[in-house]
Amino acid sequence: MILTIASNQILALRRQTVFLALLGTLLAMTALAGVLGWSSHQTIVRVYDQAVKILATTGKPAPPNPITLKPTLSLLLNMVVYIPLVGALLALLLGHLSIADDETSGIGRLVFSRQITRTSYVLGKIACAAVVLMAILVASLLVSAVSLLIVNRTISVSDFGRLTIFYSLSWLYLMLFALVGMVMVLVTRRRSLALLSAIGVWLVITFVIPQFTSGLRPTSSLNPITSPVGTSQKFFKVTAYARDYSVAEQYKEASGRILNTATSESIGQTLQRVLPIAGLVIILALLAIRIIRKHDFSRSVNNE
Amino acid sequence: MGPAIEFRGLSHRYDTDYVLRDIDLTIEAGEIFGFLGHNGAGKTTAINILTTLIEPTSGTAMVCGYDVVNERSQVTKCIGYLPAEVRMYGHLTAAENLEFFAKLSGVSDPASAVIETLNYLDCADLADRRVSSFSTGMRQRIGIAQAIVHRPKVLFLDEPTSGLDPLGVRQLRETILRLNKELGLTVFMNTHLLSEVSRVCTTIGVLNHGELIYKDSIEATTLRFPNEESLEDIYVRMEGASS
Repeated sequence: MILTIASNQILALRRQTVFLALLGTLLAMTALAGVLGWSSHQTIVRVYDQAVKILATTGKPAPPNPITLKPTLSLLLNMVVYIPLVGALLALLLGHLSIADDETSGIGRLVFSRQITRTSYVLGKIACAAVVLMAILVASLLVSAVSLLIVNRTISVSDFGRLTIFYSLSWLYLMLFALVGMVMVLVTRRRSLALLSAIGVWLVITFVIPQFTSGLRPTSSLNPITSPVGTSQKFFKVTAYARDYSVAEQYKEASGRILNTATSESIGQTLQRVLPIAGLVIILALLAIRIIRKHDFSRSVNNE
Repeated sequence: MGPAIEFRGLSHRYDTDYVLRDIDLTIEAGEIFGFLGHNGAGKTTAINILTTLIEPTSGTAMVCGYDVVNERSQVTKCIGYLPAEVRMYGHLTAAENLEFFAKLSGVSDPASAVIETLNYLDCADLADRRVSSFSTGMRQRIGIAQAIVHRPKVLFLDEPTSGLDPLGVRQLRETILRLNKELGLTVFMNTHLLSEVSRVCTTIGVLNHGELIYKDSIEATTLRFPNEESLEDIYVRMEGASS
């Protein structure tokens, strides 16, 4: 039954224009990240070549090529921004559509007059979101790999492995938002309110909490200073503690470590950053299963 | 053969408002039952309980001899349901929609069941068309197809004539009679269209503010109210007497 629900939902999503448009946008953003990285690479190379020529005429030695000092995956640094912005919205919409469509059209009533349990239904929807997001991110991974190949002429096994781990983490992060989209449909009775509430949660996770935990300390944006303010004051103690649970920040930090663009740390420390995201995904999945058991599918959601 | 549907002391309330009060009702297998009542009388709530969508506040409801709360799985095996305003997945074709519902009902060969059902209802031409392009009448036919694709014993129809033109109403009437005669389906139908009730149903029940105020066969009803010209007159008189 889980498979039936999941495969049917995938088929329906494949034919929805809004979803396909957002998917296209994410892939375009991935390609854009590659183009921006390539452009930046070309500019640095050109400036370096000119500097080497000028230095040679004055008899001075040339400094090492900065490109060789930069990690190769830094070309895709923008993906760490695009995924929490565009990707998370895409995931929200995916989760929202998968249940809201069934409610507003009255299909939920037909489905639950059949031999299916509510748990199987919601697990089917979650499985669909997992598969669809995985497919999208695999496409994005391939676009990223092609971008790297174009710029660097080659891609090492290690870099491809890091890229794969980064997209796996991104999948987990996006699952969080797909579940938010689903849960919000189950707790509200108006379709527009469900979508707005889900976007509200996205805003809080992506902007409000990071603003509270890091944004209050202006110098924190100055790399490589990570904890510029002493945590002697109670207020900053709280914000510093909350930072560990700010999933958006932990995602960015972990991504930086995985892509080798941030200060290196042990695998254990990086995994620790992933834990709040995984924990929240599990909590939301359990919450969706719990809510749907009591959800009244006999009354259609108001399609407004 | 035992009763197809049975209510015993059935009540249901939303918050503090009772929509069904202490209903006792038995519908024998093979009947076409017309459930009548004003808007908000509790007809759809009764169907929601019988199709296992909601649980009654008190009392019991049985379908095909199974309790709708404690034996939900057996109940869902033997029922088909067509809600008012059928929509289904607009992006999918009729056949894809039907196959989905056949799978959910545990049909062993869903593809064959879909073709067979569409042929039976003379709408095989709609199989590969997307449901979003269908007229109300076409949707209704596909809606009936989804309700019978797994060969249920009891069919629940909630306001099946709403939005249909006169030709559509006639086609639906013929389909209901055919399903009852050829497949032996018991039909439980909520409707406002009293002219259709008198043509299709074998038994009627009248619900007024959540209470069952009348239940008998069409013949017995006509004999009981010899001075009334039509079922509509009889219904108006019943409603008037109870309010």
